[in-house]
Amino acid sequence: MTVTTAPTNPDPVTRPRARRPFRWVLRGLLLAIVGYLAGAFITVALRGGSPSDEVAVVFGYIFALIGWLAGVGGIEAFGRQWIGKKPQVSEDPSWGRYFAFCVDHKVIGIQYGVTLISVLLIGGISAMIMRIELASPGVGVVDLDDFNKIVSMHGILMVAVAVAGVIGAFGNYVVPIQVGAADMAFPRINALAYWLLPPVAVGLLSAPLLGSFNAGWTSYAPLSTVNDSGQILFNLAIITFGLVSILGAINILVTTITMRAPGMTWGRLPIFTWAAFATSLLAFTVTQFFAGALVLVTMDRVAGTSFFSPDVGTGLLYEHIFWFYSHPAVYIMVLPGFGVILELTTTFARKPLFAYKAVVAALLAIVGLSVVVWAHHMFTSGMANFLHGPFMILTEAISIPTGIIFLSLIGTLWQGSLWFRTPLIIAFGWLFNFLIGGITGIFLADVATDIHLHDTYFVVAHFHYTIVGGAIFALLAAVFYWFPKITGRMYNETAGKVFAVWVTLAFNATFIPLFWAGMNGMNRRIGDYPPAYATANRIASISALILGTSFLLFVGNLLYSAIWGPKAGGNPWNARTLEWLVSSPPPTHNFLSQPVVVGHPYDYGIEGSVHAVFADVSAHDDGEPPPEPDEREEALV
Amino acid sequence: MLGGFVRRSWIPVGILWLAYTVLLMWLISQFSWLPAEWSTEAGVVDEAMVLLQYLGAPVMALVVAVMTWAVIGWRSSGATREDGPPQRDNRTIVTTWLVITSALAIFVVINPGFVGLAEIRGEPNADYVISMHAQQFFWTVTYPNGAEGADELVIPSETRVRYDVNSKDVTHSFWIPAFRIKIDAVPGLVTQAYATAEREGTRDDDVNLRVQCAELCGAGHANMSIPIRVVSEEEFNQYIDDLLAENEQKNAPPPDAPPGDAPPEAPPGDASPDVPSDG
Repeated sequence: MTVTTAPTNPDPVTRPRARRPFRWVLRGLLLAIVGYLAGAFITVALRGGSPSDEVAVVFGYIFALIGWLAGVGGIEAFGRQWIGKKPQVSEDPSWGRYFAFCVDHKVIGIQYGVTLISVLLIGGISAMIMRIELASPGVGVVDLDDFNKIVSMHGILMVAVAVAGVIGAFGNYVVPIQVGAADMAFPRINALAYWLLPPVAVGLLSAPLLGSFNAGWTSYAPLSTVNDSGQILFNLAIITFGLVSILGAINILVTTITMRAPGMTWGRLPIFTWAAFATSLLAFTVTQFFAGALVLVTMDRVAGTSFFSPDVGTGLLYEHIFWFYSHPAVYIMVLPGFGVILELTTTFARKPLFAYKAVVAALLAIVGLSVVVWAHHMFTSGMANFLHGPFMILTEAISIPTGIIFLSLIGTLWQGSLWFRTPLIIAFGWLFNFLIGGITGIFLADVATDIHLHDTYFVVAHFHYTIVGGAIFALLAAVFYWFPKITGRMYNETAGKVFAVWVTLAFNATFIPLFWAGMNGMNRRIGDYPPAYATANRIASISALILGTSFLLFVGNLLYSAIWGPKAGGNPWNARTLEWLVSSPPPTHNFLSQPVVVGHPYDYGIEGSVHAVFADVSAHDDGEPPPEPDEREEALV
Repeated sequence: MLGGFVRRSWIPVGILWLAYTVLLMWLISQFSWLPAEWSTEAGVVDEAMVLLQYLGAPVMALVVAVMTWAVIGWRSSGATREDGPPQRDNRTIVTTWLVITSALAIFVVINPGFVGLAEIRGEPNADYVISMHAQQFFWTVTYPNGAEGADELVIPSETRVRYDVNSKDVTHSFWIPAFRIKIDAVPGLVTQAYATAEREGTRDDDVNLRVQCAELCGAGHANMSIPIRVVSEEEFNQYIDDLLAENEQKNAPPPDAPPGDAPPEAPPGDASPDVPSDG
């Protein structure tokens, strides 16, 4: 016997009260401090100097990281195994599990989501300080060097949010359920990857103790080899962040490849999972380049090497290695966004995803092309002139697969039965913003125009349209789309719609004037500018404050609704992918009986179409075979 | 060929598309966001920018037209919850789309891409060579006769100048917004940029007549800028001669030398090894 909706939990789960919920985090902090002091003082004992020397900081950080991981649960999850005992992970059923080494991918997804949205808000506050300083020419609230440090902090915090936001929170939460698995392929590695994230945030945010870093998130050498010592914390934190990214990517890759439910062919994989898969392929392949570049910078600072000494012209080398990661990183940021927007557009348009196979091909084509376009960031860098042509061709070529994503969105919306809930409204904002980002990108792919526009506010506006427009708007849409699934409660729709319109309008009002400023000669990363650019900056600053304020509504709505919102039920959107066929929130191991996929996930409007059925456990005992998968769908790959 | 899929909505979307395209193109033709051009290179860059704006207009208009009509024509009342038409794919549409977007990409690569690239790079020759030395956080200018200045960049009008750019410490970038040229100053390398100023002027005429560091280089990055004065060729030669004399006066040991009378040992201009002989 089979059923088309999953058996739900017999009783609503009553969570017990948390007992000493912070003990793991406190033990981690304690061991981290012990580790830091041990590393720093061993270094001082061996080579002399002060415990705040960069060498001591490096060894202190490494020991602190090990202490932290051991303390938050690594001893039980991994250490016990090394002495022949059975590993243990947190089984805490109370909310204390969010502060423990819990291997449930849903808990980890929420941990990523809450951590990164907190980082987003901190990065937002730094943006507000910048826009207040830039509201009028002259040095105002912060001096020029502090401004550079705030720019750098804002940049790297927001890059971290964009890189890990959607994939960390929703890649973890949604992908295993969408493929019909009980958890990730490597649950302990998954928890380990998350617990590496707090040290990244703490490392970056504590950099001001050592003078902070003022070389931008790009940290171009040789500047990053000679600036204040906060740079060393930047390097260590970002190398750690690379590890988060790589470990997370491995998990999503292996889960998607090996843990799909029966009948879940590649041609039936939900598009968000495809996007997460493509992203992970990219993150797994290129992240180590940034980490490698930062290792070289760190060596120059603490070990006396001279990879980027000013005498030898290897600043260009840094730029090449850096962009070899950091251009694909743009796609690590926006590919999950494509997945989210495609996924929810098909749900709210009540139509099949248009040109599904072409979209999958486009995602994979973007993965391939994105690693061969990096030098378009370097048209003015002084690299050999003959490289300009090929990188221009390849960069323009990437607009073709990206165009397919737009075609699919247009085709999916076309004559749909559009249900304008908050996620779809944000998706419309996404579509408009990413469109502007794409069209202005052509100006930066073209060598002649890029020579003028490079490193101006035009670039600032462009990448905010692609990264905020493409990745952060998708993150916001994803939060609203999956909020009822994750919390079991519905957010406030009116407040959600007001936020969606507010954030879109304020975002555009902030960044459109900056295109003008950039074209007219205002360069980026400056705390002071000629009075000629005052009007554009004033408009941008006022709009930015309005934009920042909108997030109070966002956070307020979510916090209120998570506690007091009306019950959402298992499938409030009447969607078809597997995560909507289980209860909200899903049971601990996602499915109380084995899902069997029998059709395409997006067959809206097709009579009698079914995506998945649930083989009752007892039916299996009777020897009844699972239903035949529908053979109309051929695997794509 | 396209079936009922397209039929019902293509007229309103098509009209919107046309209207938006016309509107956008009209806006582009009426409002230029580009600053004043002061060099021949600026003409090339601006032409490319305007062309790309016109090419972008129909693309932008198409998506916005669909979005507009989606809100007007495809909105469903949440209550009915009916599914839309089950159109999953359409080979003709996908192929057409691919052909059009590829053609657009190829067009852009050729023009303004390679055409602009060839024009802006030009021939590797110059009437004068001026060296720009970047250092945290100021510029030093070395003129063809060896004279050095730091307060301003003075350049001759209507002559092609090559800028040899280098850096002593970290990566900077040499940018003249009014000329639309930019090249990084990389420590350990000499990078080059060419520009031909079209007319005389100063930073007081246009804020973009300035040398601006365009690569984050540290605390003083925002203020790493010097004004430009474009003058006639005669004035330029006079300026660098005077500057050289001034340099020598500064460098001469003050107690021994009688003030003012000592002639320069070699007439300035003759002993300038930096001037390319072939022009």
